[in-house]
Amino acid sequence: MLKDAEKRTVTEDGRLMLEKAEKDRIETVWDRYAAQTPQCGYCEMGLSCRICNMGPCRIDPFGEGPRQGVCGADADIIVARNLGRMVAAGAAAHSDHGRDLVEVLAAVAEGKAPGYGIADPDKLKRVAAEYGIETEGKPPHAVAGALADAMMGDFGSRRKELSMVRRAPAKRRELWRKTGIMPRGIDRETSEMMHRTHMGVDNGWQSLLLHALRNALSDGWGGSMIATEVSDILFGTPKPSANTVNVGVLKADQVNIIVHGHNPVVSEMLLQACQSPDIIDLAKAKGAAGINLAGLCCTGNELLMRHGIPMAGNHLMTELVIATGAVDMMLVDYQCIMPSLGKTASCYHTLMISTSDKARFPGMTHREFHPENARDLARDLVKEAVENFGRRGRVYIPVEPVPSLGGFSVEAILGALGGTPDPLLDAVKDGRIRGAAGVVGCNNPKIKHDYGHITLTRQLIENDILVLDTGCAAIANAKAGFKVAEAAEYAGPGLKAVCSALGIPPVLHMGSCVDNVRILLLASALADSLGCDISDLPVAGSAPEWYSEKAVSIGAYFVASGVYTVLGPMPPITGSMNVVKLLTEGLNDVVGAGFAVEPDPEKAGILIRRHIESKRKQLGLDARSV
Amino acid sequence: MKQVVVHPERCVGCMQCMLACATAHSKTLHLFTAVREDPLPKPRIHVGAGIHGEGFPNRCRHCDPAPCMLACLPGAISRIPETNTVVIDPDTCINCASCAMACPFGVIRYHGDAAAPPGKAVAVKCDNCTARQKKGMVPACVEVCKSGALTFEEPASALGRKTREVARSVSRDAGGEPIAPGFALLNAVKRSQIEMEKR
Ligand code: SF4
Ligand code: SF4
Ligand code: SF4
Ligand code: SF4
Repeated sequence: MLKDAEKRTVTEDGRLMLEKAEKDRIETVWDRYAAQTPQCGYCEMGLSCRICNMGPCRIDPFGEGPRQGVCGADADIIVARNLGRMVAAGAAAHSDHGRDLVEVLAAVAEGKAPGYGIADPDKLKRVAAEYGIETEGKPPHAVAGALADAMMGDFGSRRKELSMVRRAPAKRRELWRKTGIMPRGIDRETSEMMHRTHMGVDNGWQSLLLHALRNALSDGWGGSMIATEVSDILFGTPKPSANTVNVGVLKADQVNIIVHGHNPVVSEMLLQACQSPDIIDLAKAKGAAGINLAGLCCTGNELLMRHGIPMAGNHLMTELVIATGAVDMMLVDYQCIMPSLGKTASCYHTLMISTSDKARFPGMTHREFHPENARDLARDLVKEAVENFGRRGRVYIPVEPVPSLGGFSVEAILGALGGTPDPLLDAVKDGRIRGAAGVVGCNNPKIKHDYGHITLTRQLIENDILVLDTGCAAIANAKAGFKVAEAAEYAGPGLKAVCSALGIPPVLHMGSCVDNVRILLLASALADSLGCDISDLPVAGSAPEWYSEKAVSIGAYFVASGVYTVLGPMPPITGSMNVVKLLTEGLNDVVGAGFAVEPDPEKAGILIRRHIESKRKQLGLDARSV
Repeated sequence: MKQVVVHPERCVGCMQCMLACATAHSKTLHLFTAVREDPLPKPRIHVGAGIHGEGFPNRCRHCDPAPCMLACLPGAISRIPETNTVVIDPDTCINCASCAMACPFGVIRYHGDAAAPPGKAVAVKCDNCTARQKKGMVPACVEVCKSGALTFEEPASALGRKTREVARSVSRDAGGEPIAPGFALLNAVKRSQIEMEKR
């Protein structure tokens, strides 16, 4: 039993909770994964096609069976179409999330969103100015309305270029124009990808892959960027603040409410409700010491970044958090919420609430949040959670939480540097910091839980590479203790000195998955101050344990923006060596960056170090041999 | 002793067994690398389509007496009694195709193989995954078949189960709930499509 748990996760709370889950006979994502293995080779290689109803088709990679689908598509076309649709789905998910925030912004402007407001009016002004909106002398609500309108325009655009691509270095934009991958509209590129991959449209596997890059850019410099910026406007731009992580953040003597998913629209209202004195009094009257709101996955990251709310775990921990028996209510919005959760919760007293009009789950109660009703509904639900506290059975919270520091928005990082990126650049130039790497993305039961994230991050900081992280990777690194100022001890001498001087950890939590755009923006700022392109910088990206289509889109917009990106799990593309070659080698000639796949994080770290040192060399900086 | 038992009524035609079989007989034993080997490993089990488009996994029956063995003049075919496996020795095989002609099931193919001398095409067929069985593993096709169309068990127990299933299905008032209703529905649709072709 112990042995199995150790095979599945490197985290202590994960291991102990897996053992508890086994005792409680709770089926987890790992059990279901084991039941699925071996997985379908056609699908793993991207060789199965379900796009039209002449199919489904599959190509025999051994050449014995069919070499073409019914329509005549060969392995290259089928693999490229499938990958294109993964990008489209990922971009759609981020962008629809962004749209929901723009709708809240519009509702705020109309005074129809009680409880919501403009938390960062300066950012509102700055972003509005980028959209060419007159802000002088206008009340924030009027500016918000105009900005919401203009942003909606980016979704169904009639323009040649998205508004926020202007934040990218000029050289990069020129390259996008030249190669024909400049994103035009957020919905447009996704829609066009679905069109191109319809039977009988784009059957050039190269042009399909190029459009996949454009589609991904419409996410990174469009949907996700809007999601991040509007969240900052509505709920505040993150500033460094302390928090705690792992299952130990649950409190045996308090009402525990967990928010899970991706969108801060619901969780922000819950936070307000959890902090209202009358409800806290109610909790005390019911025998609880207070109300403890904690997060999972990116909804958790959103709250952690802005309010220092504790974080219970990442993707693979979600079932195990319920298995503590200490969760009185879990509210979910959308994305990465396993449909198994309702069943898991049915073994405990946990109330499961789905909140989005577009996301339902078996075994959950659906209580829909809209800007108009959110404040009142949040209060009702927190009261219900308080009532549920009394129905708790035995509780198992086996670990103490780990402290961490979050909230590193670009603004906060520049603030810590004294307003300009120059100190960071100087440290890079003189070699104290070799470069920077984004460690991002999900967990996947194919890789030992958090092993990829932690192992890679440790190697990078040991080698004086500053790590910027988001999403589930960020939670893993926080749990591993990399996000306190003292963690500078783990860093190499150069990075350690810089971190100690600034009082920052060597791993900076930049937020949720949509917040990967903060990494893009930081890279742009660095490129601009060096007068070069992003692809010239000693930076890299990695997703050591990714699973989701959103991660495919993120990886693609990183690469299309000029960032070399190393993936852990292999995407379903090995059915076409042409596609593999284009993504790993050919793209270098097109966008100045490419992908690598390396499931072993130790080796991935070497790839990243080698890349960073080679970029240093090209910039004329001192370079080490790796 | 345990044998690979085929239950064709459960085959969904996903051809996973073919991939797994070819991979199990490759040099590198991993799908992603096996497809880049030379010679390209090939499966010893072949999924054919029945008249209604249903899948049928066709593999060596390891007959006793085995027509292929009787037909092989150079004596390349023999039986491993421990696993009741009819095997072909690639070094002795002269690629004369007599065995294939003698085999009533058409399960013998000719091509280069990781186990054969380089450049030589030989007769190749199911070897009951002898190499895997020696390591205590079940045959690759069985491991990979998610629909239960291939099992590794005592033939007597498989037949006993089959008898019980048939007996229950002919009971009056049995209601005849199929094992996998969705699959049965799919097959019914396919069947009626084929029937329509005949009108
Ligand atoms: S794996 Fe099983 S179900 Fe799939 S084709 Fe082979 S025998 Fe049929
Ligand atoms: S082809 Fe090979 S195995 Fe078949 S009969 Fe000839 S020698 Fe024997
Ligand atoms: S190869 Fe054919 S003839 Fe030979 S034992 Fe197998 S089934 Fe029988
Ligand atoms: S027993 Fe081995 S050789 Fe025969 S079909 Fe199965 S995997 Fe292939």
